[in-house]
Amino acid sequence: MATPAARLPASAALQRRGAGGGLARALGPDYRLGYLFVAPIVVLVLALVAYPFGYAIYLSLTRKYVGVPPVWVGFDNYVKLTWDGFFQRAVVNSFVFTFGSVAVKLALGMAMALVLTARIRFRSFWTGVLLIPWVAPTVVSALNFLWIYDYSLGVLNYLLVKVLRVLPQGVGWLSEPGTAMASVIAVNVWRGFPFFGISFLAGMKAIPAEMYEAAAVDGATALQRFRHVTLPALQNIIIIVVLLSTIWTFNDFTIIYILTKGGPGGATQVLPVLTYEIAFGAQRLGEAIAVALYMLPAMAVVIIVLARHMRRGRAR
Amino acid sequence: MSPRVLGRAQGPVAYAILTALLLVVVFPFYWMFVSSLKSEEQMRTLTAMFWPSPAVLDNYRQLLGKTDFGAWYGNSIVVALSSTFVATAIGTLGAYALARLKFFGRAFMASATLITYLVPPSILFIPLYAQIRNLGLADSLTGLVAAYPSFTVPFVTWLLMGYFESIPEELEEAAMIDGATRFGAFRRIILPLATPGVLAAALFAFTQAWNEFLYALVFITNVKLRTLPVGLSTFITGDVYGWGFLMAGAVLTTLPVIAAYTYLQKYMVEGLTAGSVKG
Repeated sequence: MATPAARLPASAALQRRGAGGGLARALGPDYRLGYLFVAPIVVLVLALVAYPFGYAIYLSLTRKYVGVPPVWVGFDNYVKLTWDGFFQRAVVNSFVFTFGSVAVKLALGMAMALVLTARIRFRSFWTGVLLIPWVAPTVVSALNFLWIYDYSLGVLNYLLVKVLRVLPQGVGWLSEPGTAMASVIAVNVWRGFPFFGISFLAGMKAIPAEMYEAAAVDGATALQRFRHVTLPALQNIIIIVVLLSTIWTFNDFTIIYILTKGGPGGATQVLPVLTYEIAFGAQRLGEAIAVALYMLPAMAVVIIVLARHMRRGRAR
Repeated sequence: MSPRVLGRAQGPVAYAILTALLLVVVFPFYWMFVSSLKSEEQMRTLTAMFWPSPAVLDNYRQLLGKTDFGAWYGNSIVVALSSTFVATAIGTLGAYALARLKFFGRAFMASATLITYLVPPSILFIPLYAQIRNLGLADSLTGLVAAYPSFTVPFVTWLLMGYFESIPEELEEAAMIDGATRFGAFRRIILPLATPGVLAAALFAFTQAWNEFLYALVFITNVKLRTLPVGLSTFITGDVYGWGFLMAGAVLTTLPVIAAYTYLQKYMVEGLTAGSVKG
């Protein structure tokens, strides 16, 4: 890092402090305080993430039942899964659930952000209200929708059949294969779109007003301003939010576990719920972890690309 | 002054979209609250669907008197507060070091922390459970307090790194020229300035721990030791009576988060936008 002239006195102070020995030269001027402050995180990450992660990879290569030592089987679990119909269906469902949810969240989030930058009254109050689904406990929201979707007493069927009269009779939203996936996606969208909205809103607020004025002077319509000013400026935020949400949604356990447990007949079975069921229902831990890790290479790519973008967003 | 993308003529459109979004967001909470106040009789007969008539507290009385809900509430408070404390303390120090101090391995550790934040719990829960059990902490609140930092600490650290980076470096340098040590400058100059960020991070950590479901479901088998989300989910029975009861529990579980959030909304929105995603 180049030292600007204005900072010279400070770096002189830094050098004085670091002049203690060769260690400071090798490890950096702040190495003592630095390592002291970072040590708890390092211990924690090693113990709670890195080690379990390594152990997970090992277990996925074994046949392991609860309470019995693991037996090494190589890639058997993965090979078996590849040809397993239930697993294949869960993979497809996971992708449908993830991409369906993320696409709708992106659209609704953009609508939310645009509305909240328009000239409306009580803007910050509405912003706060729209964020509530994002902070409310996921379990509560899932249970709430379980009740809303209820076939005989739920308010959704009541609204559609008795109030609006658009349906002749109620729908078993979560119990019919045709509607179950859309119904769980709706709950994920409901919970997640405010995060998209608030992130886009922050990005839009950072766009200089002059850019819109210049575009308006040039005769750009609202749609053109959105396409040529707003979208390019939001590009990095959109990438970050979409990738973050993709990871979160792909690994969402709570909503589907509470609403359908993967049913009816596997119509909403996704990988995290399948992992849980094989691990704690069937007690086959090695196979369960293989289910969880099967998509790891793809997820790792997403995580690394995302981390790059997040760090670049900061550096600017 | 924020730029108006929609333009001047689109006022009514903006209000229409806003109203639609608000309806979709608010109605489920309204419905939850109304359901919790309905009598069993009213639930079964589908009378006065959209308001309680009469409003009764039977569900709340049953919930607090006849179930372990009170104990679960206590468990959730203990677990959420302890893990918030741990995460905030560790995360604040770490974030400062990773954002400001110059030492070998800093950039690598910053990346590792971020990647850790992105590793999903659905991959970690089985081996983490095995590890918690090996430590003799299975089926205990201590086990949860030990495990929750796996997601709260990386998040708090990442959030606060952004916050510390936004505080001008010259402030510390000035303090150090005046004879303060690095630690002194951190404690007396930087930490007070970072208070809003630390508060927001603590609130997020609390919310994450309060809402956590998967680890609590897997690690705890003793009914008395359940946390609120897991306890609530065991109330699913599917009959008329169960719903009012369940919604009363849902209301009480949501309250602390909404209360904290309302009170500290400014910091939370600021923290969310300044820290986690900054473009």
